[in-house]
Amino acid sequence: MSQSGPYLEPATLVRREFLPPGFWYLTLRAPQIAAAAKSAQFVALDLPGTFMVRLPLGIYTVQDDTFSLLFQEWGERTRRLASLAEGTAVSCIGPLGNSFRLPEERTTRATLVAGGLGVAAMWLLARELHNAGMDATILLGARSANLLVGMRELQIFGFPLDVCTDDGSSGFRGTVIQRLQALAPPGVLYGCGPPGMLRALCAYANDHGITCEVSLEETFGCSLGTCWGCVVPVRRGCPQGTGYPRAESETRSFDVARVCADGTVFRAADLVWQT
Amino acid sequence: MADVTVPQAAPAPDLSVRIGSATLRAPVIAASGCYNKGDEFGRLTDVGRYGAITLKSITRYPRLGNDMPRLAMTPAGLLNAIGLQGPGLDHFLHHVAPALQDVPTAVIASAAGFSVDEFVTVAAALDGLPNVVAIELDVSCPNVEREGRCFAADAASLAQVVAAVKQRVRLPVIPKLMPNVTDIRPIARAAQDAGADAISLINAVRGLVIDVERAQPVLANAAGGLTGPAIRPIAVHAVWEAAQVVTIPIIGMGGIAEGTDALEFLFAGATAVAIGTANFRRPDVHLRVLEAIEREMFRRGCRRVGELTGLANPGFAGPRPAAGL
Repeated sequence: MSQSGPYLEPATLVRREFLPPGFWYLTLRAPQIAAAAKSAQFVALDLPGTFMVRLPLGIYTVQDDTFSLLFQEWGERTRRLASLAEGTAVSCIGPLGNSFRLPEERTTRATLVAGGLGVAAMWLLARELHNAGMDATILLGARSANLLVGMRELQIFGFPLDVCTDDGSSGFRGTVIQRLQALAPPGVLYGCGPPGMLRALCAYANDHGITCEVSLEETFGCSLGTCWGCVVPVRRGCPQGTGYPRAESETRSFDVARVCADGTVFRAADLVWQT
Repeated sequence: MADVTVPQAAPAPDLSVRIGSATLRAPVIAASGCYNKGDEFGRLTDVGRYGAITLKSITRYPRLGNDMPRLAMTPAGLLNAIGLQGPGLDHFLHHVAPALQDVPTAVIASAAGFSVDEFVTVAAALDGLPNVVAIELDVSCPNVEREGRCFAADAASLAQVVAAVKQRVRLPVIPKLMPNVTDIRPIARAAQDAGADAISLINAVRGLVIDVERAQPVLANAAGGLTGPAIRPIAVHAVWEAAQVVTIPIIGMGGIAEGTDALEFLFAGATAVAIGTANFRRPDVHLRVLEAIEREMFRRGCRRVGELTGLANPGFAGPRPAAGL
């Protein structure tokens, strides 16, 4: 096994915190996973119940031998996770997926763009940028002020937090993309959030020739790269794609890549957004 | 001199099974579609404990697969429509096949095609690759030469493709039959009569899930293949019926997630079992299943795992090994 995992490790729930109006912030002890976790990586949790697949969730924060998860109750599996008692151990595979790449030039100014729970992918990235002595701005967006999460944990790095809400109830009134357009173009962009936001972010980055990486979300099956249930269209030649030759009968001009194993991080310039 | 009685250690249970000319070290196989070459699971568990792993189906030409979404969760099941995504035969032979020598167990290569010729071309090219001990035929594809009728649902098509592949392939040939037929027995017989060395039962069951909110199928392909414990009784029944009319080995699969599940298949008449979807949740599921099989052999005083085959099936037609030691 390589040093960076992934590991199949029991993770013990050490702390659960409800963040109104509907978020959960769970801390789990899993020393190997915590030690290996990098930005944008995720874990796959085996929850009690008759589920066919594990629940994949992005690793939010890491401290000592613990990592945390930030999520909303969405389906049966997240409900089950939220109802686990402290002290419970669940089988966990992680860390999985690739990571954001830091710019080679330390002077490059990074802007981190997070929509809603996309903020969960940004804490480890902020830490990596902070540890590398780099400068960054964090744009956080949500529909309204009460749905903003993550600021409490992100503040420790000292990066400016620029808050945007659709209804103007906190910070800039408008989307993170509208806010971005009002600012001086950054040196590099990182994004995580809903697909519409990421698509607009990639368009902005490509139009301005800015290097941009985004972490995508999909419905995963295996979470490991074996089932090929979570592919995303990428341009032919993208190193993360399958690299299969194009069949004569193939009408689609793009290649595909697995979000779980080739991603979740892709370059904006490589993604093909379908209508 | 004192008369010393040396207690005899129980001989290790013999878990090996024969599938045609191939001998597998254990009767538990990783099912096609879920495992690739075992690299991903090899980082988490001992893939070498599997008797064999089955590769994803290989087609003559590259296929990007279906549009997304490709997966939907169902009660005790997983509906998928991946669409036979794969590199195509030539790319596979150049870029994937050489690494098969590193697989820590036997490999069953799976061939898929849309005509008899495609099956023959692919299967013949897979014969002789490193570690490959058998060729599974993914005959759930439509046969473009017979009005798109599915090979596995049409005894004549099935017999034609099995016979043609057998003429060109030295390794054991294992058609993987699907449950979406009125009666599995004539299909299984047709496979045996055409020269199949074994049959795999069952492929995924056809299903469809509709997103009521959007009034649209969840999957881009609309229909998909249902796997997981939801289909297990269907699979056990198919094995049960087929085992009454064929004498070749049956590899039973469909919803195996626990040791007792595997025993159901063996008792119904399977010689070996395969595990697919359950790997996703428990990468070590095969170790639990093997342990349960060994425990059952011990409990029943069986020396060879083959003694469990068909135990519950009074009409079992296959060969019964001599019981006990």
